[in-house]
Amino acid sequence: MKEFKLDNEPKINSGFKAPDAYFENLESSVLQKISTKETPVFTLFTKRNWLLTAAAIFVIALSIPIVNHLTTSTSTVDEVQLENYLSEQSNLSEDDIVELLDEEKIEKIKLDLNVDSNELEDALLTNANLEDDIIN
Amino acid sequence: MDEQDFIQNLLDPKTQNVAFQQLLKEYQRPLYSLIRNIVLNHDDADDVLQNTFVKVFQNLKNFKGESKLFSWMYRIATNEAITFINKKAKRNGITSKALQSKIVDNLKADDYFDGDVIQIKLQKAIALLPQKQQLVFKMRYFDEIKYEDMSKILGTSVGALKASYHHAVKKIEIYMTSN
Repeated sequence: MKEFKLDNEPKINSGFKAPDAYFENLESSVLQKISTKETPVFTLFTKRNWLLTAAAIFVIALSIPIVNHLTTSTSTVDEVQLENYLSEQSNLSEDDIVELLDEEKIEKIKLDLNVDSNELEDALLTNANLEDDIIN
Repeated sequence: MDEQDFIQNLLDPKTQNVAFQQLLKEYQRPLYSLIRNIVLNHDDADDVLQNTFVKVFQNLKNFKGESKLFSWMYRIATNEAITFINKKAKRNGITSKALQSKIVDNLKADDYFDGDVIQIKLQKAIALLPQKQQLVFKMRYFDEIKYEDMSKILGTSVGALKASYHHAVKKIEIYMTSN
């Protein structure tokens, strides 16, 4: 079989042609298209855009109670209430609290225990059971 | 006329219409050929060509003159044509390669194609190439665009374009010899 070499062959043209008078009429078609596209005002209010707008409003309306709820619930709880609630109602055991303490926090607690020596003495004197504890 | 002056005329509302008509006259045939070679069918080429000119007109104010007017317009036309063929393939649920093969198979029935057996065979061989190789081959072989210009249009280096063309020619020659 003869090997086909593109460079050895006479140039093959694409074979495509345009209809007669196509290029004579193209100019007016293009100019007409430009003039209609230059008025984008109409395209803003297509059916699809209305639907999208309606959908957006619907979603925003639905989310208003949720947003309201979120913002009010966070702002009305004050620290004292929260602390009281936790101390009275919570199921936190001592172990849970210990879990939450890291070295740094423990260090802070130690610093807070600045016990006056007189108070310590009083406490030791008034506590009758202490002697047993020390002996054991 | 200097290209910068011509662009100024295109932007000035007073001279715009005349200048745009001049632009259309100068570029409609080469751009039609470029687009037709990519989309293959006349009606599609007509659509893409008109959209290309509309885009050129709408974006003229953003044209900074960093590239030549012709390479900028060719780039828009190429992008439009490739986007068109990909979208059309997607609509039909097939790959763009499969779509092109399908169109080429029906070329004989196309009123605006007057090729003979060898031309149809060449189109069939091209349709089997990867998209980038197809594009480079068509631009170089049919439209005879210089590599330097093609590089500006496609944003690909001359070396890479030459390699693509070389691969395309090899595959086409194998197809043409064996079929």
